[in-house]
Amino acid sequence: MTVELVVQLLVNGLSIGMIYVLVASGLILLLGVVRIFNFAHGEYYMLGAFVTYGMCQLLHVNFFLSIAIAMVAISVLGIFSYRLIFQHMRGDILLCTGASIGLSMMLQRGALLGFGTQQRGLHPPVSGSLAIGPVDLPSEKVVAIILCIAIMAGLYVLLMRTKVGKAMRAVKVDNEVASLQGINTNRIYLVVFTTGCALAAMAGGIIAPVFSVTPTMGNVILLKCLMVLMVGGMESMIGGVIGGVVVGLITSFGTFYLGALSEVLLFAVIGVILVFKPGGLFGEAH
Amino acid sequence: MSITRATKKRVLGLGVLFVVLALLPTVVKSPYYMHLVIMTCDNIILGLSFSLLYSTGLLTMAAGAFWGIGAYTSALLVMKAGLSFWIALPLSGVCAALVGLGIGSIIARIPGIAFLIQTMIISLIIPEVVGYSDFLGSWGGLLGIPGPSSIGPLRFIGKTPYYYLIVVLLMLNVLAFVALYSSRVGRAWRSIRVNAQLAETLGINLHWYRLLAFIISSASAGLAGSFYAHYFQALEPGMFTAFKSINVQIFAILGGLNYYIVGPAVGAAIMTFVPELLRVGREIEPVITGAVLILLVIFLPGGVLSLRERLGSFSWRLAKRAGSDEVPAEPGLHTGD
Repeated sequence: MTVELVVQLLVNGLSIGMIYVLVASGLILLLGVVRIFNFAHGEYYMLGAFVTYGMCQLLHVNFFLSIAIAMVAISVLGIFSYRLIFQHMRGDILLCTGASIGLSMMLQRGALLGFGTQQRGLHPPVSGSLAIGPVDLPSEKVVAIILCIAIMAGLYVLLMRTKVGKAMRAVKVDNEVASLQGINTNRIYLVVFTTGCALAAMAGGIIAPVFSVTPTMGNVILLKCLMVLMVGGMESMIGGVIGGVVVGLITSFGTFYLGALSEVLLFAVIGVILVFKPGGLFGEAH
Repeated sequence: MSITRATKKRVLGLGVLFVVLALLPTVVKSPYYMHLVIMTCDNIILGLSFSLLYSTGLLTMAAGAFWGIGAYTSALLVMKAGLSFWIALPLSGVCAALVGLGIGSIIARIPGIAFLIQTMIISLIIPEVVGYSDFLGSWGGLLGIPGPSSIGPLRFIGKTPYYYLIVVLLMLNVLAFVALYSSRVGRAWRSIRVNAQLAETLGINLHWYRLLAFIISSASAGLAGSFYAHYFQALEPGMFTAFKSINVQIFAILGGLNYYIVGPAVGAAIMTFVPELLRVGREIEPVITGAVLILLVIFLPGGVLSLRERLGSFSWRLAKRAGSDEVPAEPGLHTGD
C-alpha cells in the first residue's frame, strides 16, 4: 500500500463524497424546513446531468455555463413540481413519499423512453492530470472537489449571512412563529425546494464528465444519499457533509479492496452506527 | 349474551365470501384469470403486512424484501436441503421473522422518516446481495423450483390446487390479523399510532410493540414469498427490488389506509387486474403507475374505500340543503377495518 495509491483513493472518495454532500444537503434542507421527503431528488440530479450533457456536447456551450443552464432549467422543473404536487401534502410523510415515488417513476421512465439506455460520456472540461510531488491526480476530479467545496461555502453564506437564510432557519425552528414575524412561509418553502433542486442539478452537471450519463443514475445517488442521511443524521448540514465524505471514502476504499462487497461493508458500517447512535452521528434520537 | 345485528351481518358477509372463494375455480375456467386471482391473493398478504406496520404508525418499504427472503429461503430449503414444501413453508416464515427481529431491533427504535429510509435501504440492498452471491443463484436467479409435493389425493397440477392453497394462507393471515387487531396488542398498536408519548405514559413499551409488529409483518411477507417461489417455480433478484415494495405501498394507499384488512385487498385487486386488463406495455407501465399514484395522493388520499364515506357525506349535505326531513345519518369516522 503505497502513499500514491492512498492519496488517489482519497481523492476518488472525496470527489464522489462531495457529490453526495451536494445532493444530500438539498434533502436535509427539505426535511428540515419544508418537512417533506422527496424520493424524486435523484431524478433532478439525473436530469441535471442530461441538460449539462446536451448543452455541452451537442450545443458546444462552455461546461460551467451549461451547469448554470442546467441549474436554472431544473429549478423551473422544481418550482412546477412543488406547486403542482408537494404543496398539497406538506408534513404528511406517507402521502409525500407516495407522490414523490410516483414522480420519480414518471421522470425516470420518461427519460429512459426519451433518451434510450445507451451510456453517454462527456469530455472533461480540463483533461490531463495534476502532479503533486510523486502523486498524479486526475484533474477533473480535483475540479469537481473544488467546485463542490465552493458551492457548500456559498450555501453556508446563504444560510448564515443573508436575510433569506435567516428566514429559512426561522421556519425550520417553528413555522407558525416565523409567519407571525412576517415571514412568508409559503415563499420560503418554494425557495428551499428550488434550492434543493438546483443543488441536485449542479451535482449531476459536475458528475457528467466523471461518470457516464444514464437515465437510471438517479437510483444510485438516491441510495447513497439515503445512506448519507443515516450516517450523518437528518437534522444538520454538518451531519450531511460528514456523512457524505464518510460514505464516499468507504465506497472508494471498499471498492478497491473488496470489490462488489463494498456495498455490504457500507451497510455494516451504517448498522453499527445505528446501534450506537440511532439518529445518525449528528442527529438526535426522538 | 345476545347476538347483535352487526355481528349477524358480519357473519353472513363472511359466509358469502367463503362460498364465493370456494366456488370461484368452477366459474373461472381460464388459467390466465386464475393466475391473476392467485397473484391478487399473494399481493393481498403483502398489503396486509404493510397495513399491520402502518397500524403502529410505521411506514415500511421493505415488504418486497422480506417477500424475497421468504421466497429464497423456501426455494433453497427444498432444492439444496431436500426438505418438503410443507416444512419449508413455515420455516421460511420463521426465517423471515428472524431476519425481521435482527433488523428490526436496530431500526424499529426511531419511527417516521428515518424508519422509512432504513427500510428503503434494506429493500435496495437485499437484491444486490442476492445478485452477487453465487450460492443464491446470482443475477440469473433460481430456476426449476419444484412445486409442493402431493398430499394424499391432492396433487399440485394446474392452477386450482395452488388457488386453494393461497386462499387458505390468506384466510389464516386475515384471521390472525383480525385477532391481533381486536386484542390488547392491536389496541396498543393503534394507541402508539395515535399518540406515541401518551401510549408510553400508559406503560406501553413502544420499542417492543413496534418490533413485534415488524416481526409479524416480516413473517407474513415471508410466507407469501414462499408460496410464490413454488407457484412461479423461478426466482430472480429483479423480482423483489424496491419497485415491489413501492407497489405494496400503493395497494394500501389505493384501498384506503384506515381499512387495515379490506383496504389492501381492494388495492391489490385493482393493481393486479387493471394494468393487465388494460394491456399496458411494460415500457410505459411505470409512467402510468406513477401518474396514478400522484393523482391518488392529491385527490383521494383516503383511498378508494373512503369514496363511500365521501359520497355519504356529500348526499348528507345535499339532503340538508334541500331541507328534507329524511336526513341520512352522518357517517362516522372508521378507524378500524
